[in-house]
Formats: sequence, structure tokens, C-alpha cells
Amino acid sequence: MDQFTQAIINGVMLGGFYGAMVLGFSVIWGVMGVINLAHGEFIMVGAYLTWVLHTELGMEPFLAIVVIAPVMFVAGYLIQRALVNPLIERPHLMSLLVMFGVAIILSNSAKLLFSATPRIVTTAASGFWRVGDVTVPVTKTYILITGLLIMVGLHVFLQRSRLGKAIRAAAQNKEAARIVGIDIDKVYALTFALCIAITGVAGMLISPTQAIFPFMGPPLTLKAFAITALAGLGSIHGALLGGLLLGLIEVFIGTYVSGIGTNLGIVASFVILVVVLITRPTGLFGGLRPSEDGS
Amino acid sequence: MSAIATPLLNPTRTTKVVVAVLVIGLFLLPVPVLADVELGGINTSLLFSFTQMFMLVTLTSNWNLTSGMMGYVDFGHPVFFGLGAYGTGIMMNKLAWSFPTALLVGVVAAGVFAVLIGMPTLRLRGPYFSIAMLGTFVAMREIVRVSKPLTGGGEGLTLPPYLNRPLFYYLTLTLAVGVVSLMWWIRRSQFGSTLIAIREDEVGAEMRGVPTTLHKIAAFALAGTLSGIVGGLWAYQNTFIDPDVVFFEPRVVELVMMGILGGLGTVAGPVIGAATLFWLRDVLWANFLQFHLLLQGVLLILLVLYAPTGILGFFGVRGIPRLSRLLRRGTDDTTDPPGAARAHAPADGGST
Repeated sequence: MDQFTQAIINGVMLGGFYGAMVLGFSVIWGVMGVINLAHGEFIMVGAYLTWVLHTELGMEPFLAIVVIAPVMFVAGYLIQRALVNPLIERPHLMSLLVMFGVAIILSNSAKLLFSATPRIVTTAASGFWRVGDVTVPVTKTYILITGLLIMVGLHVFLQRSRLGKAIRAAAQNKEAARIVGIDIDKVYALTFALCIAITGVAGMLISPTQAIFPFMGPPLTLKAFAITALAGLGSIHGALLGGLLLGLIEVFIGTYVSGIGTNLGIVASFVILVVVLITRPTGLFGGLRPSEDGS
Repeated sequence: MSAIATPLLNPTRTTKVVVAVLVIGLFLLPVPVLADVELGGINTSLLFSFTQMFMLVTLTSNWNLTSGMMGYVDFGHPVFFGLGAYGTGIMMNKLAWSFPTALLVGVVAAGVFAVLIGMPTLRLRGPYFSIAMLGTFVAMREIVRVSKPLTGGGEGLTLPPYLNRPLFYYLTLTLAVGVVSLMWWIRRSQFGSTLIAIREDEVGAEMRGVPTTLHKIAAFALAGTLSGIVGGLWAYQNTFIDPDVVFFEPRVVELVMMGILGGLGTVAGPVIGAATLFWLRDVLWANFLQFHLLLQGVLLILLVLYAPTGILGFFGVRGIPRLSRLLRRGTDDTTDPPGAARAHAPADGGST
């Protein structure tokens, strides 16, 4: 029973991280129809930024967010203007391949800059709380809280702010949005920048829990894809629920399949991905875009 | 067919002679090299380089069958290479089978897996198929890693060493010539025309009574089987396999790049693309060892943005599907929901 409760707690914590991790990927796809195959690599860049700030300047990882978010925002803006914008009206395959290229460039640059040695970040928010026989890791609790704050923040931003409304309008009907005077290019660039900033922060969130290395990206991209397929494009509560589901599945496999379970998480995401794509192509929770399926 | 006829599809006498001379030349070339084997050094490694190149030509041709001709761009094709390698490796390591019988097991494993995985994934369209296959590739690596009793897990398997470079040279050359000839024949056959029809308008082809699912799975299984042969040969030649060298991620990028560089959907494209990139990479490797993957990423972006029809397109060969035409159905417009992934959704046909 305790093992079960422990698995639930760990699964929720992992799921909260997944929910925050997937937001950037999901919103970019939902708003501009670009599948960001370099998503995992942007997480990796955020994690390395955390590591550099931590080891060089002794900065507390959770506080490093104030540096990482603006840096990634600017990087995202520039990448959008240079590479993504020309591809938006074009087929998916082109943006897929170009982002594939970006992923290779990012991971190999990281390898050149930081070598392939795995790096570890430590945070002051460490240790465990004991509740009965169950342990609650402090770091992961902070990660969960930060993740939830990002989700709530993004939700409020998209629902209430002028720019957020413009983003939703652009996602729902680009031409109509253009007619009412929304500068689509600008909205796209800012959306991409914002999403990359969130993704970079997700890199900070992952940094205290696993080793950072240049080729950590592809499994994360795949998980983001699986969660997005589950959640529906750009859906924030869907991302949370999909993230929780994947987190729980992964932790339960890891807990109850002895020895080999931890490696099977990626297999679980893959199975979810294919099953959901075939049976429920619009995802389980609806999204930014109106459902056009079968209408 | 005739509208998109190319000099390479209906070769002139000169083209035929040039190709024949090249192939015969490649078969004779190692004779002087063989004499130098005892000396070791550069010549042996040249033989080895050619062997690698023939394998890449074969893999890219197979990839091109489903990705270029049929329009299902596969980001996980090396999974079949991996299954061929592991099937062969397991039989030789665990049961001490001889290479030919072990290879047969590996090849059958790759082919059967292609049918099994093709049945669900080929229902997906456009980018959904591509990513599902990428997922297959990454997931298979983990499955191989955890199936320790069978595959040796992360420690890998050792095959009985057999250092006969000329033999591998001839085997891979024969395979490459065979596969490219097969592709040439397919391209001119009814089967090939059907694949192109699927690429251009799958719903239309289906409405004309073409059994599209059957054709898609057949092409996929054929490509998978042929890549399984390459995997088995590679495993035997390398004498060591582990999940990371067999399911090597850059290999995915490599195949996609070689295919696009030569010219998608053509017969000669994969040969030209694979050969060009292979020697280019050898040059890059020699000079900028640590930068070569980085440059590969830059090259991929430049190719996609500025030369999507590849080398053959540059020389005016027609009939190469522009990247912008590939995956059209998955990309009707920017308001493309994952609903486009459904194979037989009612809205599919009229959504353009």
C-alpha cells in the first residue's frame, strides 16, 4: 500500500513536470502548425544554462529562471524570425526537417561546448519530507509548484491579456484575425518566443532531477508529442492531465516492473502516441483549435 | 508515365553504357587493392569505405521507396536495419548458427516487423506517420536494451570475427546493384505507378479501386526486408553490436539527407545522394571531426530551404516530388488538426 501511495506521489510530481514541459511544444503546434522537433533540445539548452549559472555564478537553480526565461525568449524570437516564419505557410515536412536540423545543431553545439560528460545541478531545496512511510522529495515538490504556476500563468495570459487573445484568435482563424487587424507575423514571433522561454524554464526544472547531457533531447520530444496527441493542440488543462497520465504510467511501470521498468517509459509514450493518434485523432481534451474532425 | 519520363528512367544508350562501365569497374577495382591487403594501411580502409557506401546506397534506396515514391516519409527506417543486425547477431552469438542462416532469421524478423508496425502506422498520414516511426525507432532501442537475456542489453553482443574485407565489399556491392535494379524495375512497373498514385492522391487512387493499404504494406515490408539484409551484413562485419551503435540516431538524419540531396522519388537520386554525402562526410570527417554532425545539421536546413529537389532537380530532372508537394494531405492549410491523421475520415477528401 505504501509502495502504491509512493508511486502515486512520484507519478503526480513527474506528471506536473511533464505538463509544464509540453506547453511550449503544444502551443507552437496549436497556434502556427509547426511541429517543433527540436523541443527536447531547447529543454537541454535550458538545463545547460541552469548548470552554467549554477557552477559559474553559484546561482540557485530555481532563481536562475529570471535569467533563463528572458534569454530563451530572445533566442526563440530570433529563431522564429530567421527559420520558422518562412515555413509557416509551407507543408509540415519542411518545418519538420528544418527543426530536425536545428535539433542536430543544438545537440552537437552542446557537445562541443560542454563535452558529452553528464552534468548534475544541485539545489538548496533538497531533502525529503516524511509523511508516515511515504517520502515526499522537496525538490520535486518545488518543481511541481513551479510547473503549476507556469500553467496557471499561461492560462490567465491566454484568456485575459490582449496578446493572449490575439494568439488564440490567430490559432482559431488566421484570416479572420488578420482582417480584424492582428499583426499575424508579430503574434507568431511572440508566441514562439514565449513558448521557447517556457521550454527553457522546463529545462531548469528537469536539471536537478536528472543528468544533463547533449543528447537528452529526443526522448523528451517524443514524450511531448505523445502528451500533445493525448491532450489536444494547445490545451493547457489537457497538457496537465496528459502529463499526469504519462507520469503515473511511467512511475507505475518503473515501480512494479522490476529492474527494467525505468527504461520502458519511452516505450509507454510511444504506445500511447500510436494508439491515441489512431483512435482519437483530436486528442482527449480538445484544444486551442476548434475541432474539425469529421464535421 | 511518359510525362515524367527522365533520362534515368528511360535511359539512353550512353547512360546505359556509363552505368555498366561504372558497375563493372566497381567489381574489378578491388583486384589491385586486394594485392595490397597484406600491406595494410590506406587501401584496406578504402575497401572498407566503399563497403560502407554500398550499404548506405542500399538503405537510402529502400528508404526512398516508401518516403520518396510512396510519400510516407519515414523517420524510423533504420529500425529495420537494427532488427536485421540483432536477428543475425543473436542467432550467431547465442545459438552459434552460421552466418547465412542467421542472416535469414534477421531478415525475416525485419520483414515481419515491417508488416506488423506498418499496419497501424501506415494508417497515419503526413507528419504523424513520420513521428510515429521515429517513436518506433527510439522505443525499439529501449526494448532491445531491456531484453538483456536475448540481446545482451547495453553490453551488446559479440559476433565471431570474420575479417574478410573483399568478401563484404562484393556482398554489399552485389546487394546495392541488386536493390537499385529492383527499384528501377519497380519504378517502371504497375506497382511503382501505384505507389506514385498513392503519393499524389491517395483518396483518388482508392476511389479508382486501387487496394492502397495492400500496396502500402507491401512496399513498406519490401523496404524493411531489404534494409534488414544490410543490418545483418553490417553486424557481421562490425563483429560487435549494442543498442547505441545499431540504433544510432544520426543514421536517421543521414538517410533523410541522402535521399533529399540526390532527389526524392527517383531511382538514381539515392545513389547519387548517398555517394555524394558519404564522400563529403569522409572529407569533413578528416578535417573537422568534431564539427561534422553540426555541419550536417546546417546542410539539412540549407537543403530543405533552398534545394528541396536535390542534385537531380538541379540538373533539370523532372518528376521529383517537391517537398512542398509531399505530404500535401497532412498539410491542407495551417488549420490542420490531428484529425488529418485519421485514415478514412469522411472529411478527408474534401478538406482541401
